[in-house]
Amino acid sequence: MIRSLRPWLTRLYPRAWRDRYEVEFNALLEQCLNSPLDILDILLGAVDAHVLLFSGEPLTWRMLNMLNKIRTSILIVFAAYIGFVVAGFALVGMADDSPMIALTNANPILLAAWTIIQVCSAVALLAVVIGGLPLAITVIRRALTATHQGLGLLLVPVFAFLALVLYIFFILAVGSGHIHLKGVVEAVQPGVFPPGNRLIMVGLMAIFGIGALASTLAVWKVVSHTDIEQETFQAIRRNLTVRIYNFAFWPAVVTTLAMLIMLVATIFWGSLAFASLPGVFTGNFGPWGTGTQPWFIGITLLMTVCTFAAFLGLKRVRSGERSV
Amino acid sequence: MDINELGHFSNPSLLILSSLAGGEKHGYAMMEDIYNMTGVRLGAGTLYGAITRLEQAGLIEALPMGDRRRPYRLTAQGAAVLHQALAELEKFAGLGLKRLATT
Repeated sequence: MIRSLRPWLTRLYPRAWRDRYEVEFNALLEQCLNSPLDILDILLGAVDAHVLLFSGEPLTWRMLNMLNKIRTSILIVFAAYIGFVVAGFALVGMADDSPMIALTNANPILLAAWTIIQVCSAVALLAVVIGGLPLAITVIRRALTATHQGLGLLLVPVFAFLALVLYIFFILAVGSGHIHLKGVVEAVQPGVFPPGNRLIMVGLMAIFGIGALASTLAVWKVVSHTDIEQETFQAIRRNLTVRIYNFAFWPAVVTTLAMLIMLVATIFWGSLAFASLPGVFTGNFGPWGTGTQPWFIGITLLMTVCTFAAFLGLKRVRSGERSV
Repeated sequence: MDINELGHFSNPSLLILSSLAGGEKHGYAMMEDIYNMTGVRLGAGTLYGAITRLEQAGLIEALPMGDRRRPYRLTAQGAAVLHQALAELEKFAGLGLKRLATT
């Protein structure tokens, strides 16, 4: 009974304190949490840690707080980017199944807007990779050594990706006639979706959406529980010390700006394309033959929310830096 | 009356520094060592409250974690502070014993 309280007791301590001491403190509690007096001692310790944190004396505490704020802010930008990617895939899926792509290729203004979306998506991806690489290497390195803490969580994106690839192979096998399923046709006519094919597409979207969500949550959890401020990497003939979250700031700015440009370009492209082809906008070119209009509005809404969240994340980084 | 009730060894920071003077230790090893030295069993909250302050003051330093346990060791500054504190205690103890002898 008393031992089952351990995780709750540790959570009474300030976040900055837990970032530094939680793992070893929990290991200690596994051995010496036996009586109500032990609980009382921990409660007093938690109060003491809060008092110490807010006394304003030790700079290290304030730095830990700042670090937490910056880390959370960078993670907000990352999560917003993943949300934006999901919206982007939905947009491409919707456009691919409609006459809008043919119209885009024939119209220079639409083509320019679509090209801007593609270029910005590449820029945003590159920025996320550059900004996140030192962080990813460090987190993986920490997970593989010593405690193996977070190793299971890091496998979530890997399994999510494998599940998606396997499912795509399954769809390809159905489409090529290697797998025959009742109520599923091999070649779907535009706008006409048999229930079996609709179910397969629902499965694809579910695997993609759940995988993206689970991967983002897993990465968020493992990063926020890894004690990182700076890390030294072995580069060619020299050591390279990187302050991880400061390093990620400018790539996060680039990612956010790319998201904003993509949002504007998407709205512009959609408005112009739908004005040229009103029948498409009021038609059923959404996934599995659903309405185009609600899907496009949903996609732009998700993009707007994600871009707004990314800007909030960047604002928090700056306020975190000023708090020291 | 137990001597511990007088509070001679109730300063957790001093106990931790004294324990680490015997070599690097993680939290549980410190608790056991302090109990064996003085009969005082520090609670986990008290122990880590003191560890936090000692580390911030630069009197002890953390070593790389192994198997979810992080060992700590005394710094040069910590050793100097401990030496001074024990010398004062020794002086105080000598004075007290001398006064007792004259009564």
